[in-house]
Amino acid sequence: MPDQPVRTPDRLLARRTFLARIGVLGATSAVATAIPATTLARTSQAAPAAPAHPDTASVTDAALDRLLDLLRPVLSELSRDTLSGLVVMTSPGPDRFSAAQGTPRPEPGAIEAGGTDFIIEALDGFVPFPDQLSTPLLAALTTALDDTGIALPTSLNTLLLGQVATLDQALLVILRNDQTLPLSLVVALLLNLLATQVNPLSVTGVLSSPFARLSLDEKCRAFELLEGPDADLIGLLDANLPEPLRDSLSGLLRFLAGALLEFSAFGSYNEWAVFDRQTRELTARPVGWELSGYQPDGVVHGWDDFIGYYQDRSEVGA
Amino acid sequence: MRDVIVIGAGGGGPVVAKELAGRGLDVLLLEAGPRHADPDSEWTHLENDANNPLTGFLRFGPQDRGAPAWYRETPQNSFIWQLSGVGGTTQHYFGNCPRAMPGVFTGYDGADRDAYDTAHLFPFSYDELVPYYEWVEATLPVQTAAMGTKESVFFRGCEGIGLPVQTTKTTVEDSFRPQQNAILQPGGWAGKVTGRDDPRLRYPESTGCTFCGYCMQGCSMPHGAPRNLAAKRSTDNSYVPMALTADAWADGGRAAELIADAYVTRIHTERRSGETVATGVTWRVGSTGEVHREDAAVVVLAGGCTESPRLWLNSALPNPNGWVGRGYTDHFFDWMIGLFDERTESSKGAASAARADFPGRGGMENVGLTPGLQQFAAVFSDSGIRGHHTNGRAPKGPWDGPAGRMIGPELKDALMNGIDRLLNILVITDDDVEAHNRVTLSALPADEHGPVPKVRFHQRRRSARTLANREFVARKAAEVLRAAGARKVVRVDWPPLLLHVQSSMRMGRSEDDSVLNADAEARWVKRLFVADNSALANSLGGPNPTLTAQALATRTAEKIFSTYFGGDPWVAREAPTVSTDARISSRLADVVG
Ligand SMILES: Cc1cc2nc3c(=O)[nH]c(=O)nc-3n(C[C@H](O)[C@H](O)[C@H](O)COP(=O)(O)OP(=O)(O)OC[C@H]3O[C@@H](n4cnc5c(N)ncnc54)[C@H](O)[C@@H]3O)c2cc1C
Repeated sequence: MPDQPVRTPDRLLARRTFLARIGVLGATSAVATAIPATTLARTSQAAPAAPAHPDTASVTDAALDRLLDLLRPVLSELSRDTLSGLVVMTSPGPDRFSAAQGTPRPEPGAIEAGGTDFIIEALDGFVPFPDQLSTPLLAALTTALDDTGIALPTSLNTLLLGQVATLDQALLVILRNDQTLPLSLVVALLLNLLATQVNPLSVTGVLSSPFARLSLDEKCRAFELLEGPDADLIGLLDANLPEPLRDSLSGLLRFLAGALLEFSAFGSYNEWAVFDRQTRELTARPVGWELSGYQPDGVVHGWDDFIGYYQDRSEVGA
Repeated sequence: MRDVIVIGAGGGGPVVAKELAGRGLDVLLLEAGPRHADPDSEWTHLENDANNPLTGFLRFGPQDRGAPAWYRETPQNSFIWQLSGVGGTTQHYFGNCPRAMPGVFTGYDGADRDAYDTAHLFPFSYDELVPYYEWVEATLPVQTAAMGTKESVFFRGCEGIGLPVQTTKTTVEDSFRPQQNAILQPGGWAGKVTGRDDPRLRYPESTGCTFCGYCMQGCSMPHGAPRNLAAKRSTDNSYVPMALTADAWADGGRAAELIADAYVTRIHTERRSGETVATGVTWRVGSTGEVHREDAAVVVLAGGCTESPRLWLNSALPNPNGWVGRGYTDHFFDWMIGLFDERTESSKGAASAARADFPGRGGMENVGLTPGLQQFAAVFSDSGIRGHHTNGRAPKGPWDGPAGRMIGPELKDALMNGIDRLLNILVITDDDVEAHNRVTLSALPADEHGPVPKVRFHQRRRSARTLANREFVARKAAEVLRAAGARKVVRVDWPPLLLHVQSSMRMGRSEDDSVLNADAEARWVKRLFVADNSALANSLGGPNPTLTAQALATRTAEKIFSTYFGGDPWVAREAPTVSTDARISSRLADVVG
């Protein structure tokens, strides 16, 4: 785990841009006034050794706790919006995410099929993703800087640098200390990072997530970067990986790119959202069944589709 | 001390267990996953509940469904589709049982003898395996597949491109046919009525395949049938019931003991007169974490192509030529989707009941899926997103547009055209054994069973023959769909989907590139045999692997019996008992309770 970064103004400017790119800055603007400011180090050279734990920095514990309470729902909303932006790639419908990607459809789609919750539940509850890979990814997201000089719109420039430092500190706590790893949040932040690489203007807009603001074509370009995987992305992420795992990273990103789309497709068309675990029955007709005409009268135990044997041959010789 | 301990109750392990239990040996069958003894109360016919690889009742993970699935490292876009549980991956297999191409065996002398992976032939002849094929075909049993609408569409396409019909079990030329499959032919009302809870669809009013369309969700149809009369002959319905009731159907037979939720973490060996000899195993009980150890005269490893190398390496068994885990073949699949205006009834009937073969190239089969899996298959691609990016590939050909995953409106419209108005073709490549496609131990942290396997496939650096074969068959598949009347044909260009898995612990002619000798005994560990798909010498030329692995496992059971128990081989001189035998049904009622 890398040390707590030094909080100098230059660094914080770059960090602020990064937080904007992964969607955190925009999403938190609503609670911005509640963010207390951290005292900044005087110069980068003279900065004291970084504290070992993120939560021992210069905002009081009580203030940080209050902020965390405010931040958690905001970040979970950010993940939801981002992953909604993902699932509508595989089944656009009448929702605002499909509209935002430029492919509105009248009939139900991924959102109505519960695709967002499907993917969040899968990522957070069940993906047996080893900490050894997720920890460095988290570290990258919580320490990375953006000095590409993307100009932030004024709406994202309202936080004082001290507040940015606090926000950053809180993010670190949420990503590192929560009981279960919020893999959905990690994935969302990653998608947002790629989104702002594809289209820097996506840092602001109507929805809370940069990725969800992209057109379908731009989302595909973001996936191109993930799947490539893009050298800049690798460079950003692998600095934190222990040596034996460096090789695994590009493979992991390729795997992730595929898996996110495959899982979105599976979840957007299967019965997950309307399955009652207690009775093991459906509570309504799944969206995917309705769209595809599958099992018009529900589950059957047989079909009358036995035509016979090809050329009437029901057995063959050696 | 047991006579034999078999590790893994999937496609191969139960075959050895059944055969040796039938000879009266004391056999212990250990399975890492759940038992699924009562499908009626444990299973549904719903694809997420069944097939979600993280949470489904058919997944690769522990018995406790609330616990996470077992993580395997795949450092590329790819997907390993193996299952734990009694029946292993056959629980959701399609039951297709073609024989291997004769050209992949030593001694083949046909005009096309150079067309195969000749550097990695089986160390014996096709003729030598034929009696074992016949034995397994009679036991499962294997029959000619019944035809539904989707098969008739596939056949029309094959006729349309001028392919001849194959009417034999052995393939000798480019041809098409109904599958020979391990699915009981429909009898009574089966296949003739549509319904739920219709008494006519219950056993014995219906026997065999009811055309329900849930092969991939596990087969327990027709309702009310004894387990060994369920239509699809996955080993949980065929070989396992036979192993557990061997005293009932075999003269002098002794029922095998099955323990599920028992993960073998180590194979033990000792040195005896200068040789390394297997002596037993240690396993961990999933629900309690308890550890047990038992000794046996012979140990049979049958964990599957990914897990058997892992257990070998975790047991620190010898690997002098480095071939443990190497030479993994997967038929480098591809997927072709044809959209039709007419009805194909793709979601009904056995999932895949028709095929075509191209000796020296591979083959293809039709596959029907449920909506979520259909869309999963349509976005599983190594060629980026159609019309957006190519990921450096996106080949063009007789399909529409560049290959790649569909997305957005195109993906949705494809399914809205109707799940029963499409036809999928699985492209099956005759692929080469290549040392770099392999299982190693991952550097990621170990789980409760030790270091986890890492499966590396270099899909873009496969042999020229493999790549050319795949393109050849992909073109044929597109042509068949067009000839059948498809309005639109999409090639997805799948990354490796590991479900036809072979040869990662291969037997071979040369000591330099094989792990097993011609008897399937480990070259460097006596009394240790391998009896799953990993023992296969190569990818069989493209035919689905399970029948051949089961024939080979039958032969291996004979080798074990004659080498270590002083018995005689039986396949040549006895007649097999069919797994649907009534004695098995009635004894099962007692043993399962
Ligand atoms: C969707 C699908 C369709 C298919 N259709 C066909 C088809 O039509 N025809 C065909 O021939 N093949 C088909 N296959 C492939 C077929 O399932 C495999 O060929 C077959 O199951 C392989 O048998 P196996 O014994 O090698 O491995 P598996 O069947 O995977 O069995 C291995 C077993 O060992 C257990 N195990 C592993 N490690 C341990 C351990 N350490 N301790 C205890 N137990 C352990 C596993 O839990 C598992 O149950 C299909 C596969 C899939 C996924």
